[in-house]
Amino acid sequence: MSDQSTKTTYWKSLNELAKNKEYEKFVEREFPENATELTDQVSRRSFLRVMGASIALAGFASCRRPIQKILPYRSQPEDLVLGVPNFYATSIPFQDTVTGLIVENNEGRPTKLEGNEDHPSSGGRTNIYQQAGILSMYDPDRSRSPVRNEEKVSKSDFETFAASHFSDTARNILFISEASSSPTLNRLKGDALRRFSNAEWVTYEPFSDDNAIEGTQLAFGRRLRTVNHFDKADIVVSLDDDFMSPNGHKNSVENAYKTTGKRRVQTVEDSMSRIYCVENSFTSTGSYADHRLRLKSSQIEAFTYALAAKLSEQVTGLQAFSGVSNTFSTHDWISRLADDLLGNRGNSVVTAGQQHSPGVHAAVAAINLALNNAGNSVTYHELPFRDNRDERQAFMDAMMQLKAGTYDTVVLIGTNLVYTAPADLDLALALANVETKIHLADYYDETSRICDWHVNRAHFLETWSDGLSYTGQRSVVQPQILPLFDGLSEIEFLNTILTGEESTGYDLVQETWSNYFTNDFTRQWEVVLHDGLDPDTGFDSVDVALSGNFSAGIREHLSAEPVSGMEISIKPDATLFDGRYANSGWLQELPEPMTKITWDNVALMSPRTAESLGLPSDRSFSSNEVPTVRIAAGDQTIEIAAWVQPGHADDSITLTTGYGRQNVGRVADGVGVDTYPLRTSASMFYQSANVEPTGAKYEIACVQDHHSLEGRDMIRTASLDEYKEKPDFATFKSFHGFEVPGMKEAEARGTADQGPISLFTEQYGPEHQPQWGMAIDLNACFGCGVCTIACQAENNIPVIGKREVGRRRIMHWIRTDRYYEGDQDNPTVYHQPVPCMHCELAPCEQVCPVAATTHSEDGMNQMTYNRCIGTRYCANNCPFKVRRFNFFNYTKEFLTTGDDPEIIQMAMNPEVTVRFRGVIEKCSYCVQRVNRAKRDTKIATGSLKPADGTVKTACQQACPANAISFGDLTDRESKISQDKMNDRNYVMLEEMNVRPRTSYLAKLRNTNSGLA
Amino acid sequence: MSKTYEYVPEPALIKGNHDFKSITALVTDINLRPTPKLWYVAFGISNILLLVLLISIAYLIWEGIGIWGLNQPVGWGWAIINFVWWVGIGHAGTLISAILFLFRQNWRTAINRFAEAMTIFAVMCAGIFPAIHVGRIWVIYWVFPLPNQMAMWPNFNSPLLWDVFAVSTYFTVSFLFWYVGLVPDLATIRDRIKSKVGKLVYGGFALGWRGSNRHWWNYEKSYMILAGLATPLVLSVHTIVSFDFAVSIIPGWHTTIFPPYFVAGAVFSGFAMVLTLMIICRKIYGLEDIMTVDHIEKMNIIILVTGSMVGFAYIMEFFIAWYSGVEYEKAIFILRAIGPYAWAYWIMITCNVISPQLFWSKKLRRSVGFTFFISIVVNIGMWFERFVITVTSLSQDFLPSSWGYYSPTFWDIVTYIGTFGLFFTFFLLFLRFLPMVAVAELKGVMPQADPHNYDEVTGEYKEPVVKIPEPRKDSV
Repeated sequence: MSDQSTKTTYWKSLNELAKNKEYEKFVEREFPENATELTDQVSRRSFLRVMGASIALAGFASCRRPIQKILPYRSQPEDLVLGVPNFYATSIPFQDTVTGLIVENNEGRPTKLEGNEDHPSSGGRTNIYQQAGILSMYDPDRSRSPVRNEEKVSKSDFETFAASHFSDTARNILFISEASSSPTLNRLKGDALRRFSNAEWVTYEPFSDDNAIEGTQLAFGRRLRTVNHFDKADIVVSLDDDFMSPNGHKNSVENAYKTTGKRRVQTVEDSMSRIYCVENSFTSTGSYADHRLRLKSSQIEAFTYALAAKLSEQVTGLQAFSGVSNTFSTHDWISRLADDLLGNRGNSVVTAGQQHSPGVHAAVAAINLALNNAGNSVTYHELPFRDNRDERQAFMDAMMQLKAGTYDTVVLIGTNLVYTAPADLDLALALANVETKIHLADYYDETSRICDWHVNRAHFLETWSDGLSYTGQRSVVQPQILPLFDGLSEIEFLNTILTGEESTGYDLVQETWSNYFTNDFTRQWEVVLHDGLDPDTGFDSVDVALSGNFSAGIREHLSAEPVSGMEISIKPDATLFDGRYANSGWLQELPEPMTKITWDNVALMSPRTAESLGLPSDRSFSSNEVPTVRIAAGDQTIEIAAWVQPGHADDSITLTTGYGRQNVGRVADGVGVDTYPLRTSASMFYQSANVEPTGAKYEIACVQDHHSLEGRDMIRTASLDEYKEKPDFATFKSFHGFEVPGMKEAEARGTADQGPISLFTEQYGPEHQPQWGMAIDLNACFGCGVCTIACQAENNIPVIGKREVGRRRIMHWIRTDRYYEGDQDNPTVYHQPVPCMHCELAPCEQVCPVAATTHSEDGMNQMTYNRCIGTRYCANNCPFKVRRFNFFNYTKEFLTTGDDPEIIQMAMNPEVTVRFRGVIEKCSYCVQRVNRAKRDTKIATGSLKPADGTVKTACQQACPANAISFGDLTDRESKISQDKMNDRNYVMLEEMNVRPRTSYLAKLRNTNSGLA
Repeated sequence: MSKTYEYVPEPALIKGNHDFKSITALVTDINLRPTPKLWYVAFGISNILLLVLLISIAYLIWEGIGIWGLNQPVGWGWAIINFVWWVGIGHAGTLISAILFLFRQNWRTAINRFAEAMTIFAVMCAGIFPAIHVGRIWVIYWVFPLPNQMAMWPNFNSPLLWDVFAVSTYFTVSFLFWYVGLVPDLATIRDRIKSKVGKLVYGGFALGWRGSNRHWWNYEKSYMILAGLATPLVLSVHTIVSFDFAVSIIPGWHTTIFPPYFVAGAVFSGFAMVLTLMIICRKIYGLEDIMTVDHIEKMNIIILVTGSMVGFAYIMEFFIAWYSGVEYEKAIFILRAIGPYAWAYWIMITCNVISPQLFWSKKLRRSVGFTFFISIVVNIGMWFERFVITVTSLSQDFLPSSWGYYSPTFWDIVTYIGTFGLFFTFFLLFLRFLPMVAVAELKGVMPQADPHNYDEVTGEYKEPVVKIPEPRKDSV
């Protein structure tokens, strides 16, 4: 097999054989169409079809390495040992940022994404979108070829077309791209605008930080990116800014690890920052804040000006706001916030949600400047890739021109405008006037269907590219595999348009980077490839001063009035964002951090609002059905399930985007409701609306049916002051007022360090083995759910579909429990990740009739899938209910259905057994990683105990809050041992005497006594 | 010698003026008569239900446990409920045939055969569920301590394993006991049946019984020994079944009261089931003389006693939950009464605690129709008791985050209904081919078996009531 064509033929024949006989038979045999439990809209069946779609595809060997020739390993390559993964650096683009990643690559196929520790945007951590990136590459629903007028064509057809069509450089071309920071793309963009003199280039993101940038223009007269340094902030005031969540902020990972890092408390000597959050819907950041105030989205603006006005009494630079008086001027919060901010000048952060108006952002910028935060805890940076203009306005202008018929050619790069653009623009109609429409996209989506040309885009794991991180580190995107579906990256696509022929992304990126490394290019390039970024780069901080026009400019904003009646507020979805992740089974099935809903979007409203609409203010425990509401705004109406979100602002309804897709992919189709029709160019964020119940019911698959802690001790919490006064507040005795039963007897016997007395012989592991333990710091966790997806990716956990989730059969090995406490209108929220506790006296082990779950010498509760007969007795007897049962053959369906199941099979971690029907599975403490480390350590040192920090579980590694520590308890110096000795350390259900190895560090809140 | 005692004779156990011959005829003629059409109808319906069972089991094995309504907190549902329910029903048979035998309760002879047959078929129905409820039925044999190349034993700590031994032992002993008791009667049918095949088959199963003194002696001894063996099993089986729950740590399960409470409940439901079947059969087969209203009354008294024990256990559970101070235990009992499953709980209380109390009235407990009604109510109640225990505890245990509601699916329901097909198929075969009353034993408790040829008061000799037939001279 020395050339591409031979390889193709060879695999094609095998594939056809398989496709025609084996797989079709498989499908028929295993899943009778009429089986009642399989016929819901988003059944596991239809999902699984996703996992292996049609179209004969050549060449899915296990070796899709980015090389031109395939050879059997007659002599093995130096850098590859079969069964031992390689790790490469790359970056994942998200809007106009990139985040550094390390990719685990097994014999040429990427299987797991981790954060790049050297990359400041990641710090070794990831968010849910990044973790799900691997599945999106192996998505068999991605478009597999260019399409011309609904007819599949080849890539060379497109090249031929591009060469002839774009040879006329006088064409009126409109380029519409997604936001991108790629230097190469921007180089090509410049080339394109030079070459096509009548061309215009605009960018569009349905959820962008354009308003934040226009805010700095208003305040400072410059368009700047705001970077909040939460590691330097003792006081954080978030004005509806969900800065720790990936749907709220594009630099969420860095924000999260810096925020939680500032709140790490090891001893009573430590202090933590204080976070205030003023917001509409309950967000993860809001739940993490020490104080939260619920306001309608439309009231935030007035609140901001009231705060600025209050501050203007004490500091200079805010004169523009002095005298501003509105409903919030006398609010309790304003004076408290002002006091705290004034007491922390230079080390506080005020930040506003990116969707708020430029006026809010200008006010926030002015406040930060006045408080001397600018240059300290808040910095401002110029963006080299951004034109100095209002991008949103430029886009709107271009749309007007488009409607006027100015352009004969529209080139859409990545963006799915027909789905995401404001409804009043009526893009489909506007585009109909255009002669030639070309769309580069991952899926043959809503926009592709009305374009003359659709070109399939290659995934970021398949192509060369580059980009700048949020703070400006120049990073490289390296392919991990040849494009599965032979697509083009943005830069290759643009280059084809420019030159009419294809050049590789590799050459294009190198050409750009050759400008940066003037001498010794090869060496420096190799360093970049190794590290994933050029470490010496980054945006320079600029000194800012209030613009002379500020007072005049802000004045028109100051009179902004809140929506008087019911408002709706449209936000990007926590799991699907603007819809770009809609075809990811992992993200669809990830419970939304606050509502715990999977596979749907809902209309979130407060209990009072629900009551005022005549809806029940609480959900039935015994039914998945919830009422639906009809929401009318402008001339558009949608019907959507209503969901009561305790803590939501009254008279406000939050909707999320990304759902209600049609004919995009088999995961995304028909899930949820499309809310974009309610969004207009005049009201991209909030507007008033009419809401009424429809009387109809809709089934929602929510993974947590009970919200209250029932006064139980699973979550233990104190304010920072209470903790300093009483460091042992989290012990069982402190919580309950009496000792754990059996403890006195154990003390008398001298075995109290092991726990209360027990009927059973102790099962402590021997000292020559490491003894694994985990601690989860509830003071760091903000409930984002990335641990769940990281675990899913690492441990080959199947996706089971809405119906099965609705039947409470979700397979996730680590879940995040969310409890509400206190007043239903304004509750406190606790997040608690729950993996297997690896009890030393595990109740599951005692009841298994066939000894399928046993204890290992290194203290892990192990599950032997091959021995399990599936009585589910262990799951019943688990007090933490962490055991999962394969009610159907989820994995087999996941991995073998469809025409080319090899695609999804490639995403599996080869080190983890896939589980079959009828067996129990559960968190293994990532035993494959543990054993790999033990093996390596044994070879290297002869000891079985890996050094501290060598083994990281998938959840621990991904966690942006650094909430999870894991390690060897026999090592007294290890991080885990330190955590276990922390005053705040406690275990759940201590009185059961099951002796969990997983413990929790109690939650602290740095409360302001004036507001408590 | 002045004090005189008045002798109060026991009411006759058998009504009507029966002699040995008419009793033999009354019982065994049922087997010897041509099969009635109604039997075919009943058998056909049972067969259809049996088919439903087989189909639902086949589909279960084909698709997986997911076709049932089980979910994340509730890992055991109808299958385990049905298992406990059917095993419980079985208890009455053994109690009647073994314990009442040892206590010389002669009235039991009218119903013991019948009740034991019910036991065996009920245990067969019960045994299906633990087998099919596992995820991988094809390796179910791993629960047996079979030698294997991995030197892998089952986990002897697991109550499920104890269950395997308890139920299989129980079934074996009950079956043997039943069969041994059948031998003399099988010989009777052998002697009376006309068909050659019948003679051969019954003769084979009668093991060459000729009614000699030696045979009787051996028979009585073995019957006594088996009764002795079966007696502890009555207590142990449901005790061990209760361990499935009691040994776990789930609130509402982890309770020491479970063994006696389960045994009492089992006897309670078993007697109810015997009554249900008996009231139908005595009517259809005209056995009112043998299974009399006195029998019904005695059984109703047992139902009253065991029902009260069960009611006491319910109260004690609540008391202990409060007295223990364990918050999870307290919570689950409050949730049972007022939580999402309160409807099931109050059905259980109504059927099991309130309804048997009506039997304090002599009139009601001697009313056949009323007894029939209550016997069904009790079995519904006992099914709900198992439902309440199994489901509510799992549904709302320690961590409120994992609380979840359980509802059965179509397949849960038809599998349960299907077991009635299995039960009645066997039961109808039993009614058709085996004497449903222990004729030989019954004769032993007839007045004729105890001629009392001396007057109770005066001591004077009386003519024997039973005429000893003269030897037939013509054949000598």
